[in-house]
Amino acid sequence: MNIRELMIVAMASIKSSKLRSFLTTLGIVIGIAAVISVVAIGQGGKAMLMQELEKFGTNLFVLYVNYQEGETSRPSDLQMSDITLIKNVVPEVKYMAPVCYTQMKLRGSQGQKSVELLGTNADLIHVNNLEIAQGRFLNEEDESAGRQVIVIQEDTAKELFGSEKPLGQRVVIGSTSSMVVGVLKNDTSVLNDNPRQSAYITMSFMRNMTGWNYIHQIYGSAASKESVSTAMERSKSILERRHNAPGHYEARSMEQEMQSANKILGIIGLVISLIAGISLLVGGIGVMNIMLVSVTERTREIGIRMALGARRQDILIQFLFESIVLCLMGGIIGTILGYGGAYVVAKLAHWPPLVSWSTIIIAFLFSAGVGLFFGLYPANQAARLKPIEALRRE
Amino acid sequence: MIEISDLQKTYYTGSIAVEALRSVSFNIDKGEFVAIMGASGSGKSTLMNLLGLLDVPTAGTYILNQTEVSALEEKDYARIRNREIGFVFQTFNLLPHLTALHNVELPMLYAGIKPSERRERARLLLEDVGLAERTHHYPNELSGGQNQRVAIARSLANNPAIILADEPTGALDTHTSLEVMDIFQQLNQNGTTIIVVTHEEDIARHAGRILRLSDGLLVTDDKVQQPLNAGAALNSLRKEAGGI
Repeated sequence: MNIRELMIVAMASIKSSKLRSFLTTLGIVIGIAAVISVVAIGQGGKAMLMQELEKFGTNLFVLYVNYQEGETSRPSDLQMSDITLIKNVVPEVKYMAPVCYTQMKLRGSQGQKSVELLGTNADLIHVNNLEIAQGRFLNEEDESAGRQVIVIQEDTAKELFGSEKPLGQRVVIGSTSSMVVGVLKNDTSVLNDNPRQSAYITMSFMRNMTGWNYIHQIYGSAASKESVSTAMERSKSILERRHNAPGHYEARSMEQEMQSANKILGIIGLVISLIAGISLLVGGIGVMNIMLVSVTERTREIGIRMALGARRQDILIQFLFESIVLCLMGGIIGTILGYGGAYVVAKLAHWPPLVSWSTIIIAFLFSAGVGLFFGLYPANQAARLKPIEALRRE
Repeated sequence: MIEISDLQKTYYTGSIAVEALRSVSFNIDKGEFVAIMGASGSGKSTLMNLLGLLDVPTAGTYILNQTEVSALEEKDYARIRNREIGFVFQTFNLLPHLTALHNVELPMLYAGIKPSERRERARLLLEDVGLAERTHHYPNELSGGQNQRVAIARSLANNPAIILADEPTGALDTHTSLEVMDIFQQLNQNGTTIIVVTHEEDIARHAGRILRLSDGLLVTDDKVQQPLNAGAALNSLRKEAGGI
């Protein structure tokens, strides 16, 4: 018998008990659908996460103070002169920006808004891949001349000035007046969990206004992806030597963040796949159970086929094929449902559903494998029947 | 063609041994039409199953076409059942989810004959038994006589030298029984060896030779001087029906 004939025989038998065949494959359908949707959602989510992280720049790294218990921050921990030194000494470091955060209320001609105010320098635009909508970002002269200028985001501009043009407008920060020189596009990244908008001023303006002399973190950007770890390590060791404080500083790169995100996603995916795998196993046992019932019910048919010249291997292959076809049908339905599920989730979460061909092929092979494995025992039972005993059975 | 000597078959059901065949010896030549008779439990069905290689004897020798059967393996049994023997059963034993055509094709399927060739031959065989119009019907859509004719067509699929029929008329009325015997007599005239197991005397009288079994032993082996002619009987029946 060739495959086409085996297919006809298998389909005839599956069709003769439609409901039972459907219920039998349900376990496989659910298992495969779970695997496909989990993999699709996982891969889509991962792709989106990586894309977002890359927006920040893969060359990005952060230097910060590793505070011990009971320690409080000192202005001397991170200094502007550290940044100047590192940029001069370490060729792998391309950009370096200090960051000092605070919450502030901004007032404009039409309204007011609470923002996260960042003291920084001109390099931040490169380090964080900020996008200018209007005007310009902070520059060196703003810093050295101590200009009272501010860069805000589009939504902030709308709230402060309504429909008026924001460039050149006056913004009152607390009680200090400043001028808008640039507007940045809104941060649309899903990774941005800060509900507040950001506004940027120079370090010197921040110092003059608040009297603080802190740098909370230093953002650096390496010349290339490959030189991130060198740039990071050398910057860190300069800080340690300069402040004579080994172990006092920490550094992390975006690369490391991506790796740990990847690792967590990988573990989650593995756990869910394992659960889906168990459901496939249960489905497979269901298939075996029904195939055993089928062999018992069709004992007479087996006897007739043997009387007409079917060899044991013909019977074995017939039942094995039926089991595989049953599981493959479950696999096909499961793939469609799984893809549909992944598509809905992806739509809701705004990321691309990714079902690679390899996933589909693996799902198919796996369901065929389940059919083969769990069909083997029942098929063997069928093939081992003695013709005369099989014929006598009613 | 068939040589049997001291053939025995004992069934064991738990601790009880049932001697279905105690010692049977006979020969059947090519082209014979033999009826095997006996009461229920005489061992005639057991003998049939042994002849058809559906079962293996406990002792004795069975030589089929100069081949000692006990020396063969299971896959050879399958081949012989497929190519050299055609089975006809009392309950037809057609596969219910296959059409008449597909049922007739089955032995050819296991013989590895190409689908187109198979289909064509199955159609011709069904035509020969008068079922040209019923090829796409399922067994539950056909009468008993029609089903038995499908079964006969199926038994002829691979041109076997021997037809083994186990109570082929047991489930049929007189008229249909005659039709079946008519087909067998025609096949026999064309050289096919026919062995029919029956407990009906008037069915057995269509054969050229009657073997009688009793309690697992062969008691008589008689030649039928004037076998009944099923074809002639059918014709006269038809005339009677026409006369009324």
